Order: sequence, then C-alpha cells, then structure tokens
Amino acid sequence: MGPNFHEILPLLVSHDVQFIVIGGGAAIVHGAARMTYDVDVVYARNAENLGRLVAALKPYKPYLRGVPLGLPFIWDQRTLQGGLNFTLTTTLGDLDLLADVPGGGMYEQIVPFTVELDAFGVRCLVVTLDMLIQMKRAAGRPKDMETIAELQNILENRRAPEPDF
Amino acid sequence: MSADSDLQKPLPYSPNLPPPDFFDPVVEAYKKDVDMTLIRENLKLTVTERFEKHQKLWEFAQALRAAGQRMREGR
Repeated sequence: MGPNFHEILPLLVSHDVQFIVIGGGAAIVHGAARMTYDVDVVYARNAENLGRLVAALKPYKPYLRGVPLGLPFIWDQRTLQGGLNFTLTTTLGDLDLLADVPGGGMYEQIVPFTVELDAFGVRCLVVTLDMLIQMKRAAGRPKDMETIAELQNILENRRAPEPDF
Repeated sequence: MSADSDLQKPLPYSPNLPPPDFFDPVVEAYKKDVDMTLIRENLKLTVTERFEKHQKLWEFAQALRAAGQRMREGR
C-alpha cells in the first residue's frame, strides 16, 4: 500500500485527532516534486487524542509495517500509550504515527511552526517549509540531502522578489 | 507592514537549530540539479491538486512495477 492522503487526512480530521503533517506529505504541500510512500504525521500524546486515533483507525486494521502477519498487535489506547513511533500499514494505506521527531520534538513543540493546510475539503496543520528543512537536516539521513536542496530552492524562490517586466 | 511588526512576527522555524537556509556544501552541490520548472508548475496548483498529481504518479509507478514483474516472470 502507498500513501493515501485523500482518505487519511479527512479521516483524522473527522475524528478531531490532533496531528501535524510532516515528511514527504509536507514537502508536497510546499510544492516539492518528490514521491513519498507513506503519510507521516506527528500526533499529540494526551489520552483524549490517543482515544481518537484508536477510534479513527480501528476500522482500517492498523498493523505494524514489515512485521510478519499473525504476530499479536492490539490496536488500542494501551498499545499507543506504551510506544512512541508507529510505522503502520492500514487498509487505507501506509501511515507513520510519530510522537517525537528529530529537530522538532513532540506535537506541542512543533505546533508553533505550523501553518493551516486546506486540502480535500478539510483543514489541518502542516509544518512550515522552514521547519521541514530543519527537521530533514536534523534527521541526518544521506537520502534527505537532495530533498533539502529542493526545499531550500523553494524557500529561495519564495523569498525572491517578483521579476519586474 | 512596519519593521516593528515584522520583528514581532513569530519565527517559522526553530531558533535552536541551524536556520533553514544554512549553507551546506553537500546540499549546494545538489541544488544545481533541482528541476525548478517542476516546482513552479506545482506551485500553480492547489494543495489538493498537488496531492492528486502525486497520487497519479504513484499509481503510474506501481503499474510500471507490476508490468516489470510480469515481464520478468514471462507472463
């Protein structure tokens, strides 16, 4: 399964889940021409939000991605409480639920560096282009160097004055 | 907008990390090969259209992958 922004984002919003779009999805929002294979979100860890996440995703059979089928994995609030970052496959598509991300930290720490995104008829939060670059850099993965170059070009393009014809 | 109100605007990035336009020679080397025409076309689209374009590209890649698999299996 691949990314399914058009169903996953409205689903989370309809359940009032507190989340922020980061990663490749955020890069697409800001105009990057890159492929991504999953939906990455940072979620708030308060008990109410964990309950909303559980209720939202339960019908879509979340399971740990890359783990052999049949291993016990119970999708409930206790499981979420006991972990931090979950790379999931669901019947809607692949979804990474992240509680703490390099460079950004947790949901509450990232919220000041977000903008409101309007897509698929819903509104949700996405990290700013500036913060996305900082997070990619903090992740320190060689594969992100090319992405950072693209995002910095978008940033420079945004800051450049309009051509005077 | 006055310079004063600019100063009061919240930063869109964390002051505790290197700034987003931090100079990195490795990144600079990649920058010259970024296809800005693709980005400019994306920026003309709404966010929903950007996601839809990505979805079509992803489905195309999947179809190519499946075709390659069939070819290798001689079907």
